Amino acid sequence: MRGARSPFRPRPSRWRGPVELLSFTLYFLCAVLLVLSRIGHGLLVNVRDDFVDLSAPLLEAASMPAILGRHALERARSYAGAFAEIDRLKAENEELKQWEWRAKSLENKVEHLRLLLNAVDEPALHYVTGSVIADARGPFLRSALINLGRDNGVRIGYAVINGDGLVGRTVDAGASVARVLLLNDLNSRIPVLVGPAGVRALASGDNSAELRLDFLPDGAKLYPGDEVYTSGSDGVLPRGLHIGVVTGSPGAYKVRPHAELSSLDVVSVLFFDTPTLTTTDPPVLPDPRALSAAPEATRAVAAAPPPTAEQTPAVASAPPPAPEQTHAVASPPPPIVSNEAAPIEAEGTASVEAQTQQ
Amino acid sequence: MSTMLPALSVLFAVVATAVPWGLPADATFILPLVVVMMVFCWRALPGVTLSPLVAMLLGLLTDIMSGGPLGFWALLTLIGASAGGYAKVFGAGREVVTLWLFWACLAAALALFGWLLASVFFLRWVDWWPIGVGAAASVVLFPVVVKGLRWIERGSFGLGARATYRSRA
Repeated sequence: MRGARSPFRPRPSRWRGPVELLSFTLYFLCAVLLVLSRIGHGLLVNVRDDFVDLSAPLLEAASMPAILGRHALERARSYAGAFAEIDRLKAENEELKQWEWRAKSLENKVEHLRLLLNAVDEPALHYVTGSVIADARGPFLRSALINLGRDNGVRIGYAVINGDGLVGRTVDAGASVARVLLLNDLNSRIPVLVGPAGVRALASGDNSAELRLDFLPDGAKLYPGDEVYTSGSDGVLPRGLHIGVVTGSPGAYKVRPHAELSSLDVVSVLFFDTPTLTTTDPPVLPDPRALSAAPEATRAVAAAPPPTAEQTPAVASAPPPAPEQTHAVASPPPPIVSNEAAPIEAEGTASVEAQTQQ
Repeated sequence: MSTMLPALSVLFAVVATAVPWGLPADATFILPLVVVMMVFCWRALPGVTLSPLVAMLLGLLTDIMSGGPLGFWALLTLIGASAGGYAKVFGAGREVVTLWLFWACLAAALALFGWLLASVFFLRWVDWWPIGVGAAASVVLFPVVVKGLRWIERGSFGLGARATYRSRA
């Protein structure tokens, strides 16, 4: 047809004006969004939270093949070195039996001393366990989306842990998903205690695999391999959560996190409500208890008969847990807490005693 | 070819950027740059339409998925779309090697701009290493991505094949 114009033919020059105006408008819009994002405009935060909530099922579905693939790869690797691993585990088991005997002996001694001192029990920490559904990392941040949100009792500022140690803290919480700011994020600052002397410092993320140790006191003596754990002096995180070990040399000390932050899978959110958190992110329902308040959902579970893994709210929407994941749900992760193994409550709601290393 | 197909293919890549692949910390810049690269290629290839508005919205979606500042990836994607449009005007989209060279220059510029923008945003010098690795990896991956986009463009997905045939007739 002679009169018909191909859709791919360049438009006449008179159309360039509107096109350039559109381009300019789009560039301007991006700049405005960046500025609003910088100042932390509340509307943007709300819109983003709502959108992430909506897209959570899609992300969860899209993540499944990647997660299954990673598990298959890990399994293949473990099969490859199975015999060497068995020998190593046998030796480790022998060593752990001796530690178990020592631990029981120390537990009895501590219990006896506590009775003598009439010591008050530390409040129990409740937690929920979920899985990472999206990996959000770029030049700006190291964060992860988890399938736990305000419906599960998660609020902004809660500590997030896995079997190895502290992973980060929640910075956004939607109805069914929450964003976790990882330890190595540029914006992450965690007050810590280092080594047996409990030297105070600030563990700062710089988007690399390790954390920097800032604000160390003059003349502080640190050694590679010293344990680093939260001090709790920020009033947000509980004291005594393991973070990692010291690496590097004097003047450039770093912390290598225990948790493998680049391949997170199952994580737990600790409910630790401090006055600071209550001010920054007030609970929807007024809660008379200030510390370690179990959310309504968890309390409902606690009052019910012991739940199966499927009934636990945090696990209901997660993929079928591997044996080690079930352990993370059914009992508190032992490596997280500094001293004692935490008791499992009869109702099925696990609790963790946050105790200091001092 | 369907005008929806380029946008859908980029949307697929945007979702892939949010999937927890377990990549090391230094490799996290690669996938979002692949999104920008796809937008650039779709805009540069002759006979394909992908509007800058759609490109910006896809970049904005990357921002939302990544949890970073809104507008960062939208801006980089928009720059990629504009550059792709210029590449098409200059006829660079007809030769893969020319397009590859064009992208290499653009990736270097985007990496520098992204690093500066990130540093200005945080008021501190952010680590340039992951951005440099991402840009270099995107240049290496370019032929693979172009081949994939060509495969989609040729119309192997049913309706697309007939649409391409009609437009050429």
